[in-house]
Amino acid sequence: MGDEKGIKRRDFLRMTGAAVGIAALGGADFSMAAAKLGKKVERSKLMTTTATFDPVRPEMARAICEAFSRHLGWDAEPYPIDYNQNVQKVIMEHDYDMWLVRFTGSSIRIDPNVFIYKAHHSSQYKKGGYNWAGYNNPELDRLAEEQQSEMDRERRQEIVYKAQEIIHQDQPENVLVNPYMTNAYRTDRLRNLVPQMGEGIGSFWTDVEMEVVQGDGYVRTGATVALKNLNPIAVKDANEFKELRMIYDRLFRISPKGVAEPWAAKSLSVVSPTVIDMTLRQGMRFHDGQEVTAEDIKFTFDYYKTWKAPFFLESLKKIKAIEITGRYSLRFELTSPYAPLIPNLFGSIFILPKHIWKDIPEKVDVEDPLKYPNEKPVGSGPFRFDYWQRGAELKVSAFKEHFHPPKCAGIIRIVYGSHDSMAAAIEKGECDRTRYILKPSLMQDLNKLPNVAGRGYPSHGFYDLSYHTRRPPFDDPAFRRAIAHVLPKGIIKDVILDGQGDPGGSVIAPANEFWHNPSVKPFPRDIEMARRILRKAGYGWDKHGKLHYPPGRGA
Amino acid sequence: MREYIIQRIAYTFVTIFVVASILFLIFRMLPGDPTAQVISPALDESAQKRLKQAFGLDKPLYVQYVLYLKNLTLLNWGRSFTSSYKVTDILWYRFWNTVFLMGAGMCFTLVVGPGLGMIMAWKRNSPLDVGATVGALIFQSAPPFITGLVLLMVLSYRLDLFPTGGMHTPGFHPESLVAQFLSRDFLHHLVLPTVTVALFYLATPMLIMRDSMLEVLGSDFIELAKAKGLAPHVVMIKHAARNALLAVVTVSSIMIGFAIGGQVIVEQVFSWPGMGRLMVEAASAHDYPVAQATFLSLAALVIILNLAADIAYCYLDPRISLGKESVP
Repeated sequence: MGDEKGIKRRDFLRMTGAAVGIAALGGADFSMAAAKLGKKVERSKLMTTTATFDPVRPEMARAICEAFSRHLGWDAEPYPIDYNQNVQKVIMEHDYDMWLVRFTGSSIRIDPNVFIYKAHHSSQYKKGGYNWAGYNNPELDRLAEEQQSEMDRERRQEIVYKAQEIIHQDQPENVLVNPYMTNAYRTDRLRNLVPQMGEGIGSFWTDVEMEVVQGDGYVRTGATVALKNLNPIAVKDANEFKELRMIYDRLFRISPKGVAEPWAAKSLSVVSPTVIDMTLRQGMRFHDGQEVTAEDIKFTFDYYKTWKAPFFLESLKKIKAIEITGRYSLRFELTSPYAPLIPNLFGSIFILPKHIWKDIPEKVDVEDPLKYPNEKPVGSGPFRFDYWQRGAELKVSAFKEHFHPPKCAGIIRIVYGSHDSMAAAIEKGECDRTRYILKPSLMQDLNKLPNVAGRGYPSHGFYDLSYHTRRPPFDDPAFRRAIAHVLPKGIIKDVILDGQGDPGGSVIAPANEFWHNPSVKPFPRDIEMARRILRKAGYGWDKHGKLHYPPGRGA
Repeated sequence: MREYIIQRIAYTFVTIFVVASILFLIFRMLPGDPTAQVISPALDESAQKRLKQAFGLDKPLYVQYVLYLKNLTLLNWGRSFTSSYKVTDILWYRFWNTVFLMGAGMCFTLVVGPGLGMIMAWKRNSPLDVGATVGALIFQSAPPFITGLVLLMVLSYRLDLFPTGGMHTPGFHPESLVAQFLSRDFLHHLVLPTVTVALFYLATPMLIMRDSMLEVLGSDFIELAKAKGLAPHVVMIKHAARNALLAVVTVSSIMIGFAIGGQVIVEQVFSWPGMGRLMVEAASAHDYPVAQATFLSLAALVIILNLAADIAYCYLDPRISLGKESVP
């Protein structure tokens, strides 16, 4: 049947009609194998979230289950439930068959460690762990550990390439599609927007580089999710990171291409795999005028560790000691070599002003910094805090004394009740750009207007179909490989996502250029191939065209 | 009468206690671990434990319940799981946003509705009576988001007379509450949501007033007033309307309570940062302290307004009397 580029709804219907025929022909397998069949492959549930949470996921789940049933004679049913319940069932209890989930393209996921080690190492199959698939391959475990401690980037890349091949062959999950970050902005007001992998024009680089050619110089940035928190210790979700990173500096910043580059740190040298020397940029100041020194950096790491800042807790365990070696220099001693340290800790932790945070929580009305609202955040970032009207808007202004001052006067983050009202505000000129994803159909509508651009930007995030690999039929790699040939990726991309994505292959997306293994490609959609793989593995079909396990196998 | 009022107040407190307990249980019975929403599942177990410990979720349920009741009596609602702000601060800020939105809508409804109802009854079966009845029923039947979207489509997107949503023009940051709620910018943003609310609720006081007026207009004292040669508008306003208003007063107090709790959709359509959106945000984020406080305060408001209506009715309607004081 080949690949399905450019499939439209009409083609989809025609195809499904043809598929019924193929399924009927499957009965031919019955004649020769009926006596040797094992138990019927039981009905499975494909869990995902509700349309309210994400309108496309239930649609994808329906298309996938339909394909399994029609082409393989194996019944699967979509099971859309509240997202919170998804997390509970899958990540906490491991009680599921298949899970359709979206990994957003956050900057912490650019480093391959999350998708190689955390998602696939057998030790991560635990309550709250990322390897909810229960995947267990000693060879992959070895590579996952090796890439984590390999401090040489080129050598680490080779290991990561190999790991991607193994994961792809074993198929503990299938990367369905890499969706684009769909954004829109006013072309008559903004210039020089810099998209970043996984973030589109909602990126930090757009924040600091964009120019405003009309009005008061402030960029009205629309979002549909209210900002919850401005406490850099309690930071949890991507929206909080996006706003806090404007106010607080980091030692490293992830570049538009996804590479960690020195920012507040001037240089870094790896003395040994467990000893790192760092020199700070001189002349940096917090927004209240105090200088940023090595004292603040050491305080920051100690403070995050003392108070067990949840988001950073795991990475912080790798830091054994920090020694101040000069007013602007430090030495980090690690418990063991840890390659993701630079992007995922140095590139994400926010530098705290010691002179403010040393009194928290003792001199404020809370017993734990996690409960401190940090109403007037003071950092050293390129934007200083003006005000936050909770549930409505956040305003920050350019900090002109910064070593990389923004080109705009500031940013006003506005919360809209829906994607539609945000799109209307852009159309009317009340909003200048979107911070996060705009519904693809609205983006395309906006793109037809003068003075507005709607575009999709590549992302390393993906929609993922996870299997419980410790439950039949998903405990059989052959079965997982076979069903990979049936997945309707063309329909998902062209019909469900309005063309705003690319069919997925590796867990490290092509957008993540350095770490992506180009030889790992999506399995072609080939129904006959799927059936051949199943037949070869001993599966068969009964007279009703229903799929059966090989003799002696089955739940 | 006094015993009745004391009894009603006692019932009110019991009702609020029951609602508070139900709310406590409902949020904890929701499927899913609260930390799954509050904290990313990408974090390891120790991070989740840390968060549970910070917000007291590691304690047994009965301990959490006792603490909840204790804090409730001290009017200490705790801190939000998600923003760390005091729940009272969050509620206070959002409450006023909603009060101004619904207050403006209700004022419009309660002035225009009974007034129109009065005229409609006076001019029964006239085109005004029929037209206003049909119109009011249409707006009451249409979900407020439809009315809101139509108003936005015509008056904002097409004619560009009003903004698309929000409480202020982005960047407008008033220093005081007075400046915030009395500024021209705020009033400009208030018009469309107010009209949406008013159109939705208009039918109730208008039709109740109309029916009540028709009943009063058939009374002997109206005939007597007319026979005395009083001007028609004096009969209509001073004699008929004043007596007919009683039913509107009763239903209005309950309607206001429900309106404040039921503005979720209007706030969503107009991106209005009020209590309704706070309820949705808090419930979907499993932010127990904020969700409990929002729902409970709205429930308490409806219960207290009911109490007020009951008590007011005793005083306003001389035909109602209670217990030993009842007149045969």
